[in-house]
Amino acid sequence: MTATVVEASPCRAGAIAQAYELARRSTVNMWRQPQAWAPGLFFPLMLTAVYAAQFAKAIHQPGFPPVDSYLDFVLPASVLQAVAFGATGGAAELAKDIENGFFDRLVTSPVSRVSILVGRIAGSAIFAGFQAGLIMVLLIAFGVTIKGGVASAAVIMITAVLLALGIGGLGLVLALRSGSQEIVQSTFPVLFVLLFVSGTFWPTSLMKGWYGNVARHNPITWIIEPLRELVIEGWSWGSAGRALGITFGLAVFTTSLAFATMRARLRRL
Amino acid sequence: MTESPLTTGQRVSSIAHDFGVFRALTARGMMRMRRIPALIIPAIMMPMFFVIAFSGSFSALANVEGFPTPRVINWMVPYAILQGASFAGMGAAGGTATDIEGGFFDRLLLAPCRRPILMVGPLGYSALRSLIPTTLVLLLSLALGADLPGGALGLLCLYVAAVGVALLFGTLGLAFVYKFRSLKSLSIVQIFIFGFMFLSIGQVPLALQSGWLQHAARLNPMTNILRLSRQGFLGHVTWHGTWPGLVAIAGLVLGFGAVAYRNLRRIVP
Repeated sequence: MTATVVEASPCRAGAIAQAYELARRSTVNMWRQPQAWAPGLFFPLMLTAVYAAQFAKAIHQPGFPPVDSYLDFVLPASVLQAVAFGATGGAAELAKDIENGFFDRLVTSPVSRVSILVGRIAGSAIFAGFQAGLIMVLLIAFGVTIKGGVASAAVIMITAVLLALGIGGLGLVLALRSGSQEIVQSTFPVLFVLLFVSGTFWPTSLMKGWYGNVARHNPITWIIEPLRELVIEGWSWGSAGRALGITFGLAVFTTSLAFATMRARLRRL
Repeated sequence: MTESPLTTGQRVSSIAHDFGVFRALTARGMMRMRRIPALIIPAIMMPMFFVIAFSGSFSALANVEGFPTPRVINWMVPYAILQGASFAGMGAAGGTATDIEGGFFDRLLLAPCRRPILMVGPLGYSALRSLIPTTLVLLLSLALGADLPGGALGLLCLYVAAVGVALLFGTLGLAFVYKFRSLKSLSIVQIFIFGFMFLSIGQVPLALQSGWLQHAARLNPMTNILRLSRQGFLGHVTWHGTWPGLVAIAGLVLGFGAVAYRNLRRIVP
């Protein structure tokens, strides 16, 4: 019998290996529970199919961006919707680890603290990249053309990964503070409202009054609109920079907050 | 041995007894809801959000040729109300599932009352419960600028449709709960609700839809129920706009009710 010896010293190579193992555990865990990830793919795709048929004639009204079909318009929204609904999965798993005591065993073992969080959130980020790729392939098969080409598709995928890190980081903060899966999952209605009160399914330029103002100032709109420009107008460094910059900033902010919350939790132990 | 036929007096007494059990079961559901308000809050908040989000996001639909009203909110209010009623209607099934899981339902089965009343009682609770989100969403919508040119008859059609939808999803929920005897089985009913609602004329009239959705919406009985509920918001109430909705409600309630009753009869305490 052989035993795997885990490097006890908190050297960088050890931390990376530990983070890799924990990320692998988190990804395998997620893959083994289709009920956890399938709705996150099914519902956005169903909504996309329904809206494409519902708004097929509405896209010709003045003020609507020039698109061949509603699918062109909604592609980035479908990707972000799928990512937003699945991004807290890793955080919910961390809360479960806290609830059943596995987290306590991890922190008493010589595992790098950073790798505990990175391991958890990396699974969601990898899955977000996969979701983005799959949705784009499916919509391209149904006639969508990404005018910005492969580079734009890559930006959409990276944005999806960064958004998963951003939302997942927020979920980690809630998981570490509450230690409750239920509280982490209660973020779903908030994300739902954020997605709907934005330019996700309709151009904000066609929204009137206070609702239009709220939608225009919603960070989800700030991410979706440049991605949409990459799909329907073509490649633009400005659009790519805006989408990546906002999601990168969100990811850095929320994951830093998660690490700070982790340190605070460990101090309390 | 043959049973002696009931005398008129015994029959009246039996009906009075059945009515007493029905009233008690309905009152029990209402009492449970008063004690746990969280049971009804989502069914109120969700349609309120939908009225705001759909009317705000898709306000420009009113400019599309063929859209039947210049006020998008008039189009969206009945849709949101029926969504709230459908979730309120599941209350019957939710309460029964809790009773089955907790063992209380076995005691009800052994009680001296006829089985159909055990099914009809919770449905009475569902019907009453649906009046709460219907009224609150209606008041909010009127405050937000919706109007009801159809007057009292239009209002009556809306309430009949809302109670009908609560009953039909209540019976569907009971059919699943009697079959699987678990609260989790209600997640299947949610898929039915989304299917019925999204594949209909919920957000966009039939004339503006295209392709497969138009065919699905034409065949979907919910389309007629939505027409029934919407009449008063679009103009005057007509018999032509009323009877298909009433037939759809009666057909679905009787169909789902028959399945639910068959499953109920198979339960052995």
